[in-house]
Amino acid sequence: MFLQLSISGLSQGAIYALVALSLTVVYRSTTIVNFGHGDFVMAGAFVSYVLTVMLGIAFLPAALLSVIALFLLGLCFSRGLIRPIRGGPHIGFALMCIAVGFVMRGIARIVWGREVLPMPSVFDMPPIFIGNLIITGDAVFIIGTTAVLLVIFFAVLALTDIGKMVQAVYQSQRGAQLIGINVDRFNDITWGVGAALGAVGGILIAPVSLLHPDIGASFLLKGFAAMTLGGFGSLHGAVIGALMLGVAEQYAGAYINSALIDITAYLVIVIVLLVRPHGLFGRKAVVKV
Amino acid sequence: MKQTLTLLTGLLLIAMPATAEETTGLTEDMIKIGVMAPFSGNAASYSKAEIGLMAYYDKINDEGGVNGRKLVAVQEDTACDPAKGLAAAKKLIFQDEVFMLHGNSCSGVALAIRPVIEEAGLPWVIAHAASDSISDPLAANIFHGLPTGSANGRAMAQFVLSRPDTKRVAIIEHSNDWAHSYSDPARAYLKEQGIEPVADQTMERGQTDATAQILTLREAKPDFIIAALYEAETAIFLRDLKKYGMSDIPVMGTAGTDLENTLIRVGDLETVKNYFVIHSYIDSLNGDKLKPWGDMITKYYPDEQLSTFSFASLGSAVAVVEALKNAGRDLTRSGFIAEMEKIDNLDTGILSDPMTFTHDDHQGVKGSAVAGFVDGEPTVLRAWGERY
Repeated sequence: MFLQLSISGLSQGAIYALVALSLTVVYRSTTIVNFGHGDFVMAGAFVSYVLTVMLGIAFLPAALLSVIALFLLGLCFSRGLIRPIRGGPHIGFALMCIAVGFVMRGIARIVWGREVLPMPSVFDMPPIFIGNLIITGDAVFIIGTTAVLLVIFFAVLALTDIGKMVQAVYQSQRGAQLIGINVDRFNDITWGVGAALGAVGGILIAPVSLLHPDIGASFLLKGFAAMTLGGFGSLHGAVIGALMLGVAEQYAGAYINSALIDITAYLVIVIVLLVRPHGLFGRKAVVKV
Repeated sequence: MKQTLTLLTGLLLIAMPATAEETTGLTEDMIKIGVMAPFSGNAASYSKAEIGLMAYYDKINDEGGVNGRKLVAVQEDTACDPAKGLAAAKKLIFQDEVFMLHGNSCSGVALAIRPVIEEAGLPWVIAHAASDSISDPLAANIFHGLPTGSANGRAMAQFVLSRPDTKRVAIIEHSNDWAHSYSDPARAYLKEQGIEPVADQTMERGQTDATAQILTLREAKPDFIIAALYEAETAIFLRDLKKYGMSDIPVMGTAGTDLENTLIRVGDLETVKNYFVIHSYIDSLNGDKLKPWGDMITKYYPDEQLSTFSFASLGSAVAVVEALKNAGRDLTRSGFIAEMEKIDNLDTGILSDPMTFTHDDHQGVKGSAVAGFVDGEPTVLRAWGERY
């Protein structure tokens, strides 16, 4: 049971990881927490649904097109709606994110409002039985895809000039500008990457769960909890925090009480903020006076 | 002095009970009826029930209306959210000034709005929300026009125990009033029969994985599982049951899900072959006896995809029209309520059990059939292996 719960927790945690990572990517470069990010996750899943189910496109090209579409949506969101309000109060960013998220959700409700939509299973292989342990095709697909994406993501950060640019902007936007980085354009791309990563999360979870316009809300909360646990601004912290959260939900649900599954994320946020506010891998905030 | 009088008048208005007048929402040629439903949100598919009753109004209107008046539905969205539901109810009562209320899916919303409606005094015929607490304790103006949770919960447990050699029963449910309205009466019936659930599991709305619950259930080795879950979570639970090789265990679901749409959502018959649901109608979704009702709904709402929810409110709609007719042209709220209380053993032509209201009992339907797949076809059943 322990191993079974761990695998299931890692599978859920992998989705949370993509959501938390995409939130962190945006937060690191812009210091904006995208409160509408759950709806980008939802939008990615719905674009994929339209392409695969309604237009009959095969899953992989449809998923790729969905990710590109969400990348462009994130980029346009930054260019058209975030840039113009820069210089205003910081809460304006949060409100803009929430408003756009609800607009996207509203559009989905207008189109699909009262239906809970099934998404065909992508990786329909029979489960693997190892003794009492059952490894499902969905778990293999989700964990495998997320692992590959994370390897690529962190390799780009560690081994390329793009990674150095990310680090430079994170440390000081003004400094980055001084060495010739177009920070505005960089931020637009960051929003695009964040939206695209969120879309991958939506695309992966849609075949496992069902699709409806409110699907993103719970993932947003899980993403926040993972960010908090891993440490705000820490990319690898977001991933590790998400995996720990996914596993913790399963253990709490099976060994203590199944009602705990739904509140584990809230408990994590409360406990971490009280005990270790900078999370497992975050930097301690230092205020100069 | 003038300010003091204004203040006193204001205080008097606030202190007065917010009761609705006897005849607001009535004109010479129409009766305004407030219809609340979750037209948005992740429980929005339940609003199909209210689409059904509005189609029935349209049919009655095409036939000339009730005593010369057309039935006009004023829709408000609750999003299955108590706060939004409360705002919707207040708007319908105090702003739109409807004659009566009909509808409302989502028991949590119905429970939240009950005090406001009870105080306002206008009639409310509940068409879809099943929690007993909405109509019990009795409120003079509130009627339950479908089997309540206790009727359904007992029917669920009775069906479960009608399967030979069923001794170990597990329960999985949401932690809300809606789920408890099914599971508590089911537990009570099981207890009467000397059976304690071998496992009690919670699966909250929005969860996308049921592994933890299913592994706990596997250890409990149930003969039958009672699942008080909404549609999306039911599909996820059944899919995960199959994943973990437990799809041979029969699962008894509530009236909150139906066989046909659950089959569409999970994608294959193997996953739902042992899934049973409370089914309060005389026939299955595609059966001959439901066809005229389905045709009526699609006539007025051509884009509507029919599910069993589409028929959920029709029994109550038949009762409402019956009482409005009997109340005559000089319609008042108290007259309508008196006529509702005279409804006795009404065969609605759609519900599996008749409807009876009395002055002391406003829960009109006391039983329900069950539906399950027999030879791959949705079939209405009285008990395990016994067709309706």
